[in-house]
Amino acid sequence: MEETITNREVIIEAKDLSVGFLVTKHGINNFKDFLLTMGIKKLFENKEVLNDFNLKIYKGECFGIMGRNGSGKSTFLRAISGIMKPNKGTLSVNGKVAPMMALGVGLEPELTGLENIKLLGTLMGLTQKEIKDSLNAIIEFSELNDYDINSQVKRYSQGMLARLAFSITVAKDPEILIVDEALTVGDLGFKQKCAKRIEEIRKNGSTIIYVSHHLEDIRSICKRACFIKDGKVLKVGPIEEISDLYELEMAKKKGK
Amino acid sequence: MWSLLTPLLYLAIFTFIFSNAFPDVENYPLYALTGLIFWNFYSNATTTAINSVINSRGVLKSIKVETIALPISEVATSIINLLFSFIPFGILMVLFDASIGFETLLIFIVILLFSLFTLGIGLFVCAFNVYFRDVGLLYTSLTPALFYFTPIAYSTSLVPGQFQLLIKLNPLYHFMDIFRTILYYNEVPSLQSWGIITGITAVFFGAGILVFKKLEKGFISNY
Repeated sequence: MEETITNREVIIEAKDLSVGFLVTKHGINNFKDFLLTMGIKKLFENKEVLNDFNLKIYKGECFGIMGRNGSGKSTFLRAISGIMKPNKGTLSVNGKVAPMMALGVGLEPELTGLENIKLLGTLMGLTQKEIKDSLNAIIEFSELNDYDINSQVKRYSQGMLARLAFSITVAKDPEILIVDEALTVGDLGFKQKCAKRIEEIRKNGSTIIYVSHHLEDIRSICKRACFIKDGKVLKVGPIEEISDLYELEMAKKKGK
Repeated sequence: MWSLLTPLLYLAIFTFIFSNAFPDVENYPLYALTGLIFWNFYSNATTTAINSVINSRGVLKSIKVETIALPISEVATSIINLLFSFIPFGILMVLFDASIGFETLLIFIVILLFSLFTLGIGLFVCAFNVYFRDVGLLYTSLTPALFYFTPIAYSTSLVPGQFQLLIKLNPLYHFMDIFRTILYYNEVPSLQSWGIITGITAVFFGAGILVFKKLEKGFISNY
């Protein structure tokens, strides 16, 4: 089992990775306070969110990331996307990353669904031709009818927003797809459809990184996962082991 | 469309109040208009550019986008608006007896420099505004002061001698001066004027880009 994995092509590799945020040292977050405390030299200090973070993700797998709130999951995903730069260590990403955005992010409320497909598609790095070609597929996948797709997005329900955003993200098979707690609002039918589409994308050779607190979701989609605690990878392994560990960690917290 | 309303209202107010107060300014409506058009551009472009990054922070947190493209696109939008506003304002200027000649074309070179200058200011304030949200508010509050500090509604010849130097410290003064030289006085600006605005543009544009690029790294921590 291990042997077969090591033979596979590594798509994302983090070696002793440290990624940090700037945090205000003295709670100065406006210019007024800054002026009033001229004497203080250093305003910000670096706080490492990920520390000595080591992880390998292989091409073509569906990899789950679990961990408590604030453990560094999103920071790691942002590092993969190239939004945050490593302070120490290396992170190699061998492919184009398509992030699944949080609910409603990137959608312009005043524009119609159709216009938003063009907008978000462009943001995702699709060309005008690719958007035009996949327009019908996107609308069909989102299950929005003619009337809805031509309405302003601000009139959409949460589920409709999620459906539209997901449909745009998966329009073209991305090399690396990041799904970060994005599918929790859709109805059951749409969720199953998403899971099916994710599996389809994976079969076409893409890599999927899935973040969720829903054990059932993550169990049904991922084969392998890691558990992140306090900015470090606590354990990497088959999804069953990791979800057991996750439950154990949660129980521990409760017991305290 | 509505963006034209503000300068037109100002024009009406100024003409109504000031044309008698400043009798030595010949053809006061044209004088005020040639200033107001470009002030309107400056104030719109900077205000939208300053808030562009903050307003898109949701997207910037999830997708890798060249952040600097946001303020640039806001200034570009304002340039397009400015060019379109030349149609109604051009008609108005002709109604105010403006003469249009070959030298009028020089205005586009000044607009190019003025846009880069405006972008520089926008980038500079925009970058600080991500760290300290009150910087944008402070800028908005100071904008009216800058408006009256710039000779838009009045002529510099009315300013007492001891303040002449002070008013020339305002970079916007030099742009207004050259805009008026072309559109109001119908003259070709002197080499010295061109030199001054080129220098101002280089400094502000350069500083804006440098500061933005420097501060950009910490944006993600402050969204």
